[in-house]
Amino acid sequence: MSNEKFDAIVVGAGPSGNAAAYTMAKAGLKVLQIERGEYPGSKNVQGAILYSNALEQIIPDFREDAPLERHIIEQRMWMMDDDSFVGTHYRSDDYNKPPYNRYTIIRAQFDKWFSSKVREAGALLICETTVEELLLDGEQVIGVRCDRLGGEVYADVVVLADGVNSTLARKAGFHGELDAGNVALAVKEILFLPEEVIQQRFNIKEDEGVVIELMGKVTEGMVGTGFLYTNKESLTIGVGCMLSDFKANPLRTKPYELLEKLKKHPSIAPLIEGGEMKEYCAHLIPEGGFNAVPRIHGAGWLIVGDSGGFVNAVHREGSNLAMTSGRLAGETVIAMKAAGQEPSLKTLKAYKDKMDESFVMKDLKKYRKLPEVLHSSPQFFTAYPELVNRAAKTFFTVDGVDKHSKEKEILGSFRSKRSLTGLVGDAFKIWRASR
Amino acid sequence: MSTAVNVEEKLFQNRYKVDHGRPHIQIKQPEVCANECQSQACTYICPAACYKAEGNGTVTLITDGCLECGSCRVICTEHTNVAWEYPRGGHGILFKFG
Repeated sequence: MSNEKFDAIVVGAGPSGNAAAYTMAKAGLKVLQIERGEYPGSKNVQGAILYSNALEQIIPDFREDAPLERHIIEQRMWMMDDDSFVGTHYRSDDYNKPPYNRYTIIRAQFDKWFSSKVREAGALLICETTVEELLLDGEQVIGVRCDRLGGEVYADVVVLADGVNSTLARKAGFHGELDAGNVALAVKEILFLPEEVIQQRFNIKEDEGVVIELMGKVTEGMVGTGFLYTNKESLTIGVGCMLSDFKANPLRTKPYELLEKLKKHPSIAPLIEGGEMKEYCAHLIPEGGFNAVPRIHGAGWLIVGDSGGFVNAVHREGSNLAMTSGRLAGETVIAMKAAGQEPSLKTLKAYKDKMDESFVMKDLKKYRKLPEVLHSSPQFFTAYPELVNRAAKTFFTVDGVDKHSKEKEILGSFRSKRSLTGLVGDAFKIWRASR
Repeated sequence: MSTAVNVEEKLFQNRYKVDHGRPHIQIKQPEVCANECQSQACTYICPAACYKAEGNGTVTLITDGCLECGSCRVICTEHTNVAWEYPRGGHGILFKFG
């Protein structure tokens, strides 16, 4: 194996690695993909929502055989207090008309399917093999060293799809350690329930799905969110907060304690009651946004997916950014080979240019100031959810107090907690950071 | 939070292929955890409770239940006392669902 040289080596078989390997193999390039798990997906964790568009660009007819759980027809957003919530629900029958816009998926199954397409396209996949480091000739990446295969393998370009920890680029000195303020630690469980029970509890028919995003007291003032997703015969429930907030939390709350508290919330417990827990996962999510994206190209290497920090935390999007980055990296290598160019820093800059022109970097740029604003404004995760819940209670409780007095009380509670300038300032901060 | 949550019960549902005798994460200098680290944040942040604060002030690490998230390495900024690698190919956590 070590004498053989590939056009590209892709490290990792998640959404970005599979997108890159598929794109290149389909175009006839000689591609080796190396995955450390027993099979593709066995090391990968996601909520998980699949946004159709990014995959359609790669495999237009994916719906024919991809393992999809439920298409989403309803999105709920709940602001939680300790024993109540105020929520918005958006449900539309438009989401019930194919082609569906998004689905819940189970990553171990989905990644395995995606990988089968990659192999059909002609890439060589080696599993149960960890890449230990990149092989360099001066500045040029020329291959990888693995813990199997007799060690060294060579290629024109190495595509780093090795996930959020981005160990290979870090070891090679392409970027530094992750900042705890730029990653969220999320934990989740999968709870199995009969299909009919899920459909009754969530007011949905066969194949229809609901996602619930949760914010507020469930994160104990830390910047973070929770979620509850409907799969075919299971629910996924999870919660994630910035790692720096976990560390600084004076209560020293453990991630699984936060999850357990969420599961016991009186608005959540009835939805998951009786669910049989079959797996518990944890994962880091790169949520630093635009300013945390490292250098993503160099001589002989490209970074795709979570390894490059391509997650839009505001919109809970990640795998679609990952697939898009993988596809664009693949297209860059294809164009390079077609033009007979060397895999130099200059040639591979085409990848960065493509990324800058794509929705990936445009969206990250749009929200570039938001992580900072949220970090410095814990009121969005505690005071506001609390105030909104109290306001709802005051407003909806019929107790002989006249409505005018109730309105005054609500306004007063907001002003005493945040002051008028605080309220206006918060609105302005969010507007400025999101525009 | 005072609710005692048994994380071992959760981890028991997971599938692992433990690389016996070859832990993929190691504490570089145990005396740094014992003497220099005030927070010992790994002992409450690790989602698999691999790190334990012992009564004598030391921190012990058993990686068998590790979910390979990387949090322990990322939070150990003051002392960078965590030597963190992925397990050998095929070993470690094997997610059934992910």
